[in-house]
Amino acid sequence: MTMSALSRPGERDRLVVKFTQIDWTFAIALCLLAGTGALMMFSVAGSSWEPWAGAHLFRFGFCFVLMIALALFDIRVWFALAYPIYGIGLLLLVAVEFVGDTRMGATRWLDIGFMSFQPSEVMKVGIVLALARFYHGISAEDARLSWWLIIPALMIAAPVLLVAHQPDLGTAMLIALTGAAVVVLAGLSWKIIGAAVISFVAAVPIMVMFVLHEYQRKRVMTFLDPESDPSGSGYHILQSKIALGSGGFFGKGYGLGSQSQLNFLPEKHTDFIFATLAEEFGFLGCALVLALFAAVIFMALRTASLAHSHFGRLAAAGVTATFTLYVLINGAMVMGLAPVVGVPMPLLSYGGTVMLTVMIGWGLVQSVRVHRYTEVTSGKGAFV
Amino acid sequence: MSEPSIFFSEVNERQGAFHRRSFLLGGFAGAGLLALGGRLAHLQILEAQRYQKLSASNQFNFRLVPPPRGLIVDRNGAVLATNRPNFRLLVVKDGEHEPGETLKTLAHFVPLDEARQERLMREFERTPNRTPVSVMEDMTWEQFSAINVRAPEMPNVTADMGEVRVYPHGGAFAHVIGYVAKVNREDLTETGPNSEPILLHPGFRIGRQGVEKAFDLDLRGRTGARKIEVDARGREIRNDTAGDIPAERGKTVELTLDVDIQNRALEVMGDESGAIVVMDCRSGDLLCMVSAPSFDANRFVRGLSTAEYRALADYERRPLLDKAMSGTYPPGSTFKMTTALAALSAGIDPEERIHCSGGWRFGGRTWRCWRHGGHGAQNMHDAIKNSCDVYFYQVALRMGPDHIARAAKALGFGQAFDIGIPGQRTGVVGSTDWKRTQVKRDPTWHPGDSVSYGIGQGYITANGLQLAVMTARLANGRKQLNPRLIKSVGGVEMPPGDEVPNLPFSQEHLDYVRAGMISVANDRSGTAFRQSQLGLGDVLMAGKTGTAQVRSYDGVADRDSRSVRWGLKDHNLYVAFAPIDQPRYAISVIIQHGGLGGATAAAPRAREVMRVALLKDPEIRARIVQPMPLPDVTDLPPVGVAPEGAVAAPPPLAPGEPT
Repeated sequence: MTMSALSRPGERDRLVVKFTQIDWTFAIALCLLAGTGALMMFSVAGSSWEPWAGAHLFRFGFCFVLMIALALFDIRVWFALAYPIYGIGLLLLVAVEFVGDTRMGATRWLDIGFMSFQPSEVMKVGIVLALARFYHGISAEDARLSWWLIIPALMIAAPVLLVAHQPDLGTAMLIALTGAAVVVLAGLSWKIIGAAVISFVAAVPIMVMFVLHEYQRKRVMTFLDPESDPSGSGYHILQSKIALGSGGFFGKGYGLGSQSQLNFLPEKHTDFIFATLAEEFGFLGCALVLALFAAVIFMALRTASLAHSHFGRLAAAGVTATFTLYVLINGAMVMGLAPVVGVPMPLLSYGGTVMLTVMIGWGLVQSVRVHRYTEVTSGKGAFV
Repeated sequence: MSEPSIFFSEVNERQGAFHRRSFLLGGFAGAGLLALGGRLAHLQILEAQRYQKLSASNQFNFRLVPPPRGLIVDRNGAVLATNRPNFRLLVVKDGEHEPGETLKTLAHFVPLDEARQERLMREFERTPNRTPVSVMEDMTWEQFSAINVRAPEMPNVTADMGEVRVYPHGGAFAHVIGYVAKVNREDLTETGPNSEPILLHPGFRIGRQGVEKAFDLDLRGRTGARKIEVDARGREIRNDTAGDIPAERGKTVELTLDVDIQNRALEVMGDESGAIVVMDCRSGDLLCMVSAPSFDANRFVRGLSTAEYRALADYERRPLLDKAMSGTYPPGSTFKMTTALAALSAGIDPEERIHCSGGWRFGGRTWRCWRHGGHGAQNMHDAIKNSCDVYFYQVALRMGPDHIARAAKALGFGQAFDIGIPGQRTGVVGSTDWKRTQVKRDPTWHPGDSVSYGIGQGYITANGLQLAVMTARLANGRKQLNPRLIKSVGGVEMPPGDEVPNLPFSQEHLDYVRAGMISVANDRSGTAFRQSQLGLGDVLMAGKTGTAQVRSYDGVADRDSRSVRWGLKDHNLYVAFAPIDQPRYAISVIIQHGGLGGATAAAPRAREVMRVALLKDPEIRARIVQPMPLPDVTDLPPVGVAPEGAVAAPPPLAPGEPT
């Protein structure tokens, strides 16, 4: 297949051609990460596929196929569905407020008969799509600084406040940061960015004191001084740091991590799976996995920059920003640099919802890549 | 706003802005990942050692292992206190399982009635988390294996094998050895040996009485530890045997007691209350120290029920009291040797005869002799042999109390001996000084006080040990022997009882008094002739009877105390030594409220115990089984009817002769 062949009219719309345009290096990197996750789950389950490793691989397989399928969807379909998806997500969040399931003090789940799911996850992709769709329709000047920016501000604020009210502070923060990332990528004025950062920093203490729930405030406090209560709330952070540190450079060996194998490490297969990895494979293994994450992020960013459409660029970069935030927040939490918030390590951690969200996002990114030359136009103005 | 994408420059401008910003995002991601990498390097490379230590302390725990308690053996190595395996059932409060539920489940396998479950629940409330509580001791093998098979379903239950203290001779040594019991909160101290964490182990027992208490630290041994791997809930995963610290058995405590003599002594006491003490007249070693009635120390180890304890504590014969050391009694006529020695030292001529007509008027009342008809004219030897009260009334009155007190103290009265275990009560040795300082309501010594003092009544009390020491000192004839109970601790010999100064009496006087004791037991007219025949050939016993009144005889028509209630009956005493020529063993027997004479109630028991002691002695046995030269029957004077002085007093031990 040569470039000339690709440039033939209609050639790029052929499914086989689209298939070859998927970034397979990227796909392999995803498989490696998910495989590492399964490897660790196999270890902490006492060398058993049950109960986590098998299910993890199965889910990843399903999501991987889904990603490929989504990649073949025309970028214009994504474009057309951007606002509807966001709108449905917002409606579902409102619905959760009234009819949601309450589990462990938080109303996050919506029961739709055969399964229950968290609408906040839909919003993680929805916010990216909607903002990309919005910025696609306005000029660079308007994106930099104009009254139009009230709209993206409201688009971000609505789901963030709804999710924060559930309360699910981690997800709310992720949606807010993802939205902010898209707004910044679209070219927001540095003055506004600076002002926002300053006011956010100023608002944090007030938030901690007055807005946060008691358990959330406690988490923040323990984060600041984990040794103050080593068997209570500081336990997670301390045990995670012990797992990491005791791994040393080469690790304790596969299946030999005492912290994770003997249950000192909490959530060893979900939020703290990176600590399990660090204990058994040491700095060497961690560095390799972080390098894999870096490769995934940079390949995705490259995909974004290759897109001809502004919608495609912003959507791909927005998804990448979400993924990056996942990795950094979870990493910082596991390493004792951030409070314990329920943010898993994408692809490594056990858990279906996040896996699905992340892989749908990567489906969007691959769709942007496959359709990078496709012009996205809407003849009827910015909001159609 | 019109369609923006048609303006090429617009598009380019947006693309350029995006590219610059996406570089920033890439930079942000890169910086973030590098920061994580840096943090990892810090934790995993720079601080790895610190966290490895923390990880190891998470992973490994040392479980304390109580050391096997040291043995207590008699002078021949016969075991008096040892440990036997014990299948225990322990339940740990782990915060996850409800102990009440666990107990209900366990009740299917072992007998655990409602009351016991309630008692255990109260114990669970007091116990901190992760400290095991002993639910049952001494399970059968069937119960033990039934629980062990189901162990995986009950992670908070352990059935293990511990050790429990056992006293194979039951009650015979209960007062001397004491017993061990569970550690009370009051036993724990902030510092010192009782602050050690092993005391909290459910299998640990602390010495409560006697030798077990006095030598508790020696017997305890050194605590061991098992290095075990635990999970986050503190459950044991596996045992790292290479890291174990073995427990060291406690030291062996060797007593001077002899298991056969001790057992026989308790046996002959029957249902009576009292004490028997046997002492070696050459070394001071105590061969027997029995208090009766006794109790089974093994029940104390297991833990007494309230009813059991009450039964012991409320019984009027006081089984829990060690009468050999803590019970003090008027020595009665067994004190007459002391009075006699004091009189001899005070210069009273022993050949001077005092007439006994069965009573003596003094101080406005009649002081009765035990023999209504009187003894007639008595010299000191006769007075000892016949236990004539009138003679000693008058002698005591003549010399006054301070001479008697001096002699009494030299013979061991009023003294607590250092025998290694606590609990001795010293009793009273009256003197003018003593009465002035100790008796507030009547500080003057009246002549009447001296009169009763002379026959071992009034201001004189003694315990069984003191009586044995007195007899041993008289029998030894030279040394102020001290008793010894602990022979060695952990192989280290304890100081013997014979490295002591000599008695402050002249040899002649001691011989005189001893001759009196020999007559008591060997003259047909002696007060305990019939009861003192050992039946061991020429190995003979010397002794002195005693009957101590516990009620005033004033206005009592019938002095015979057989008819009064137990608490008012006379005490019966007998002190003796044998053989008379080369004294080996001294014995004191106290029958509390025996209600008979010293000769009737105490002397036969003394004879029995003395026989056991003598027959265990190889030297004595050699004497008895020695083929005797063909006896010339006509020339052999019949034992006991020989004229006074015919039975030679034993020669004093030559200096340097082995003792």
